[in-house]
Amino acid sequence: MSRARLERVGLTLPLLPTSTVGSFPKLDYVLEARAKFARKEMTRKELDALERQATEFWIEQQEEIGLDVLVDGEQYRGDMVAYFADIMDGFEMGGLVRSYGNRYYHKPIIVGKVKRPGPITVTWWKFAQGLTSKPVKGMLTGPYTIMDWSFNDYYPDRKAACFALATEIRKEVESLVEAGAKIVQIDEPALSVRPEELHFALEAMHIVTDGIPAYFIMHICYGAFEFIYPKMLDLPVDNFDLEMSNSGLDLISLFEKDPFTKDLSFGVLDVHSHVIETPTIVRERIEKALQVIQPEALWVDPDCGLKTRAVEEAQGKLRSMVAAVRELRETGISR
Amino acid sequence: MELCLANHSSYPRVGASREQQRLRRAYAQRERGEISPEAFNQVQDSLVAEVIEEQAHAGCELVTDGQIRWYDSISHVAGKLAHVEINGLLRYFDTNFYFRQPVITANVEWREPLVVEEFRYAKRTSVRSVKPVLTGPYTLAIASIRQTPVYGDFSTLVMDLSAVLAREVNALATAGAEVIQVEEPAILQHPQDLPLLQQALTALSEARGSARLALYTYFGDAAPVYEALQELPVQILGFDFTYAPKLPDKIATVGSQKSLGLGLIDGRNTRMETAKDVFPLLEKVLPHVPGEIVYLNPSCGLEYLPRDKAVAKLRLMKELKEAFLQERKG
Repeated sequence: MSRARLERVGLTLPLLPTSTVGSFPKLDYVLEARAKFARKEMTRKELDALERQATEFWIEQQEEIGLDVLVDGEQYRGDMVAYFADIMDGFEMGGLVRSYGNRYYHKPIIVGKVKRPGPITVTWWKFAQGLTSKPVKGMLTGPYTIMDWSFNDYYPDRKAACFALATEIRKEVESLVEAGAKIVQIDEPALSVRPEELHFALEAMHIVTDGIPAYFIMHICYGAFEFIYPKMLDLPVDNFDLEMSNSGLDLISLFEKDPFTKDLSFGVLDVHSHVIETPTIVRERIEKALQVIQPEALWVDPDCGLKTRAVEEAQGKLRSMVAAVRELRETGISR
Repeated sequence: MELCLANHSSYPRVGASREQQRLRRAYAQRERGEISPEAFNQVQDSLVAEVIEEQAHAGCELVTDGQIRWYDSISHVAGKLAHVEINGLLRYFDTNFYFRQPVITANVEWREPLVVEEFRYAKRTSVRSVKPVLTGPYTLAIASIRQTPVYGDFSTLVMDLSAVLAREVNALATAGAEVIQVEEPAILQHPQDLPLLQQALTALSEARGSARLALYTYFGDAAPVYEALQELPVQILGFDFTYAPKLPDKIATVGSQKSLGLGLIDGRNTRMETAKDVFPLLEKVLPHVPGEIVYLNPSCGLEYLPRDKAVAKLRLMKELKEAFLQERKG
């Protein structure tokens, strides 16, 4: 199913395509520039130039490491929800809310009808794709997660807010595909948190993806999958990108009970650990995945975005991942 | 019947102004070793006093210390027990807040006061009555990793935690607490364990002296287990109505043998409730609650809101109460 879908959108990828989840560590000069911009000591144009320079760096890195499907590295994004809320109409930035310990974030508030004022990520996608002949994924936060991680002063309930956001996110998907994106990833880390709402999250995803000629990946992480599996397989996407390594690969037992019927991007790198996995460890993890997933349906990537790691750690982890996949491709992949 | 305006439990510890962010800076200074433990405690003390005053000023008749000193509602309590280590982060129910998970390595034992010293300070500081809050034995046990054969049986851990918490309940009652809130949100996800919770709360009930025990659940629908909750050995039951659309009807049908804490004001969302949202629910529920006091409180701790919205919700509760009483009189 999936390979045919990839071919229909004009992509031929090797077995076990390698990719990443979206974000890479921000380079020091980008961090410094973003702080200066926040203090109004730098113009938007100056910041943009540095973020573009950092994007070029990460595209080069991904090519050099040998990944098959690339990302722009999100050097220009802060929080994955606030980035979209900042740009879309209908939001205002709320005060600080604690996420844990001494960490706080500004939580957006929906105060009016949400509306995409125009393409949000397309310029960055075009820029990144212009730097490489390999496919670059379009990267969006999903409507359920934007809704769940925002306050809602405007819509009558969570479902209504989610559907309104889905309509706007669909427009962004259409813009990305029109610009040439063949693979679009929708990040929905909040999806597994309220299993009783999966039914409308599913409807929302139909709004986002139905009838659009692209290969869709949905990234979900750090949730209680046992409560939404196998129902989540009904979500209208081609590939689920799941965090596996941080949770000791325990999802595999779920797949043994109820077969996984979509493509799977299998997280083989723990992004919360400083330890750089060896190619042998990565290979063992992939071999475990192959016990429950057909090789044609398996992609290989980290558990989540690598933005919390140091640059060298991210590079080291990805090199191990690519080395393990190459070894498997050379020695033959068997179940 | 008196409608008493109460805070729930936690309160935002930072706000928009530099002054309101002093605890955040103090934490960072502590991490860098730039502040003495005494100076850090002084910052905490001053913020506790500030949020107590803010609650009272907004109209709260029963305040809390805002759990300003708590890292989170699990590790702050469990971390003070013997043979408990504190591990990595885990999502707190369906929120976007993360707590540190306790790891139990041997028999849990009382080692030091859990919250009674915090309560004593808050009580000294406050002009209003202060409600101490404890996370309950069942929720603490569910949130913990058991790394010892001693607790091969889950219920043994719940009962040991119950014994430790009973000692704290007694200390709080002796220190002058009139209402002691025990939070058990986890029981709504595991209703089959209600008999175990009943057993676990017995020790707390026996230790309460003249204080009244309030069992609060939230982040779930209490309606399906309402009758069983009424059987628990507590004097007050607190509910999160934002998850429980059928709960008002349930209360109207079944009645209540206990005083209730009505969590009708959403502590998780910034939208301000109106009389139209709240009055019909009060009218439905109040005739069925016995006793002299019913508590009107947010649905959960207010720390999920920014500080300006949290105080606005407390002010709103006062406005709604006054308008409701006026309407009844009229």
